[in-house]
Amino acid sequence: MQKYFLNKKLVITLVGLIVSFLLIAFSIMVRNNRNTPTFIQSFGNDAAGLVDRVVGYPVKAVRSAGASTADLLNTYHENQQLKKQVDSVAAEKATNATLRQENADLKKQLKLNKSLTEFSKINAYTISRAPSTWQNQIVISKGSLAGVVKGSAVLSDRGLIGRVTEVNKSNSKVELLSTKNDSSNRFPVQVAAKSGTIINGLITDFDDDTNQLIMGQITSKDKVKKGTKVVTSGLGGTTPKGLLVGTVAKVKNGDAGLPTKIYIDPAADFSDLSMVTVTLRKD
Amino acid sequence: MHSSRIKYLFPLGLFIALFLDGTITQAFAPEMFTPAVAIESRLLLLWLIMAVCYSQAEHILLWAGIAGFFFDLYYTGILGIFVILLPLVVYLTQKTYQFFTGSFIVVLLIYLIDVTLLTLLFYLVNSLIGFTDAGLTTFIARTLGPTLAYNLAMFVILFIPLKSLFEKM
Repeated sequence: MQKYFLNKKLVITLVGLIVSFLLIAFSIMVRNNRNTPTFIQSFGNDAAGLVDRVVGYPVKAVRSAGASTADLLNTYHENQQLKKQVDSVAAEKATNATLRQENADLKKQLKLNKSLTEFSKINAYTISRAPSTWQNQIVISKGSLAGVVKGSAVLSDRGLIGRVTEVNKSNSKVELLSTKNDSSNRFPVQVAAKSGTIINGLITDFDDDTNQLIMGQITSKDKVKKGTKVVTSGLGGTTPKGLLVGTVAKVKNGDAGLPTKIYIDPAADFSDLSMVTVTLRKD
Repeated sequence: MHSSRIKYLFPLGLFIALFLDGTITQAFAPEMFTPAVAIESRLLLLWLIMAVCYSQAEHILLWAGIAGFFFDLYYTGILGIFVILLPLVVYLTQKTYQFFTGSFIVVLLIYLIDVTLLTLLFYLVNSLIGFTDAGLTTFIARTLGPTLAYNLAMFVILFIPLKSLFEKM
């Protein structure tokens, strides 16, 4: 009898483990290939998202009360700094408008209707974040009903933050750039060298210790100045061109055949995201 | 009467704890995820362990599996990790708790061991499927230590309210 029970427990454990492995394999496959998750996943996610909005409300209220107090204390100092910048902003706006007009005219002359830089926006707020060190994922409040597409680039108010990995009806998951994961879809980016040529590469990794993105797969040997802006190149995939990723922090030249790596200070803060924008390329 | 109240309140509290974990993580992300620390909030586990120790709730193992499934579904998108780990930890707690009486310090130690086990297994699974390349020392310094400290604080704050809640029902 004793032996029988031992066997039964062993069988249950083994079956549990096998089912678990199968589920993991299945969900990674869905995540990498298919456009929408299965019905069960999508239904469960929509239901969970709905409940989460209710549960999250008081916590967010407490947090925003704290944030407003901190804002209030900083306001005077900030105001003085901003005053100095306001004048130059007005001038820049005027220049921008002129340039945009000129750009539109030139495009018309070339009969160029669509370009890589054009995209439409969907604004969403962040409902939740995975309580996990290994998946830097947030859940946002818009899904396929609002037109979010899997693989779209997502921006915060300051710059690129990540990519949509799963779309449900009323919410979707965004994998942040700070995720270090073999299967994540890397962004094609570009940066201007000192000589003026454009260097293309991919965001290949993230450095946890220094909070910097690493740009790899670079073939060019041109020198890059510190502080140069890095933007998405729009090559391949669904990312629009010209989204700000960050600024060059340092360049690590590979000797002995190793490729060059460029370390980038990200423009966006990956831990302070309340509103995000999903971009949809128009072509 | 008493047992019917716990029948509804236990699952309700379970799901509130599940969603509070994510919301707290989102709201306090600037403090909880920095280059030096990464804190994983585990209120869900706290609710389960307190229920094991102080309540007459039934089917805790099953509910742990369901909550684990929703955790995978909603937060990580990788099914099959928490759905196994959470019932495993609860099962071990149930077995261990038979030999103890429910004093504050005993439950605290059990809870800390459970958090350690869950965090460690979660890390191991993730490195197995290629979602992280962090070494064991990085894991202990950046994730395990701060996670234990945070969850210990939460335990101390919530122990008396949860205990009286479960014992009343």
